[in-house]
Amino acid sequence: MITAERKPLSEIKEMIAPYRKILVVGCGSCVAECASGGEKETGLLGSALRMDAKSSKKEIEVKEMTLDRQCVYEFINQLTDVIDQYDVVLSLGCGAGVQAVAGVFPKVHIVPALNTTFIGETKEAGLWVESCRACGDCKLGFFAAVCPVTRCAKGLFNGPCGGSRTDRCEVDPDVPCAWQLIVSRLEEMGRLDLLRKVHPPADWSKQQGKGPRKIHREDQST
Amino acid sequence: MDQKSAGLNITIFFCQQIDPDQDTNRRALEKELGKRIRFFPLPCSGRIDPLHLMGALESGADKVYLVTCPEGACRYQEGNLRARKRIAYTQGLIEEIGLERERLELIITPAGNPVTVDELARGLLAREALIGPSPIRG
Repeated sequence: MITAERKPLSEIKEMIAPYRKILVVGCGSCVAECASGGEKETGLLGSALRMDAKSSKKEIEVKEMTLDRQCVYEFINQLTDVIDQYDVVLSLGCGAGVQAVAGVFPKVHIVPALNTTFIGETKEAGLWVESCRACGDCKLGFFAAVCPVTRCAKGLFNGPCGGSRTDRCEVDPDVPCAWQLIVSRLEEMGRLDLLRKVHPPADWSKQQGKGPRKIHREDQST
Repeated sequence: MDQKSAGLNITIFFCQQIDPDQDTNRRALEKELGKRIRFFPLPCSGRIDPLHLMGALESGADKVYLVTCPEGACRYQEGNLRARKRIAYTQGLIEEIGLERERLELIITPAGNPVTVDELARGLLAREALIGPSPIRG
């Protein structure tokens, strides 16, 4: 899941300041799960903007709409019949959602209401933790499904560093040592032999350095 | 000057477990004050959502109360604890738009001293008006 947090209202207000008719568009996927851009949060932001305008005697029109997904054309297309009625779209999608909507409606100013933060998992109600860097070269199979690149503060492929104390990371004692987890899990699985492999440095060219990455599947194409 | 005399619009969200006869008990006050007082019974105060609180303020409430059962007495275990967190979260939201956080207030009913919802509301109306009409009211 892609996680995000809402920008400060002052930053949002600055971006929409030149406009009078504002469409606030939420996304019902990842950002709904992390309680930053779903239908509820879209309603809250719309309400806050209306009240803010009213208390400062500014006349604006704010409407809300939530798409199931902001990163897929079939869902974005639901804006086609309404988008002309607005001066600006304030998107509560992730960075991909904002850009996807802008790609479909290039003449409309689409502005982000969220800061996209990381790929993570819901650990418990109200807690989301980063677990994947989208490096493009997944090695979880060697590490008992604990990513050392993301979850080890030092990003060690050939750990542990030896600095952990009572299962906690020496960099941040609130975080469990990823390498402690890896070794414990491999021990439970009876696969400590996997630790004998020495891993070369990560090939970051699969993540960055060549511009935006793409996946093209001929069998999925029309 | 008390909140009733100050003409404030009051909205009260409340856990209906605190007063089994709330439906009857609040009628007289609703008739007396009309739109100036609005009651919203909740099956549990933990059902409150920031959207409800924002909606009340946007609809013209000057002061919004959320009334919970006593701590440790929630029929659904932790509803009143969640209510406290949601009030705090929404107070942060309204501060961003320049409203006083005091416009939202959590009231925890005392343990061992049951009150009817109308008694409770009259008590709140009799409180000194520390804030004026909301700028949202226009």
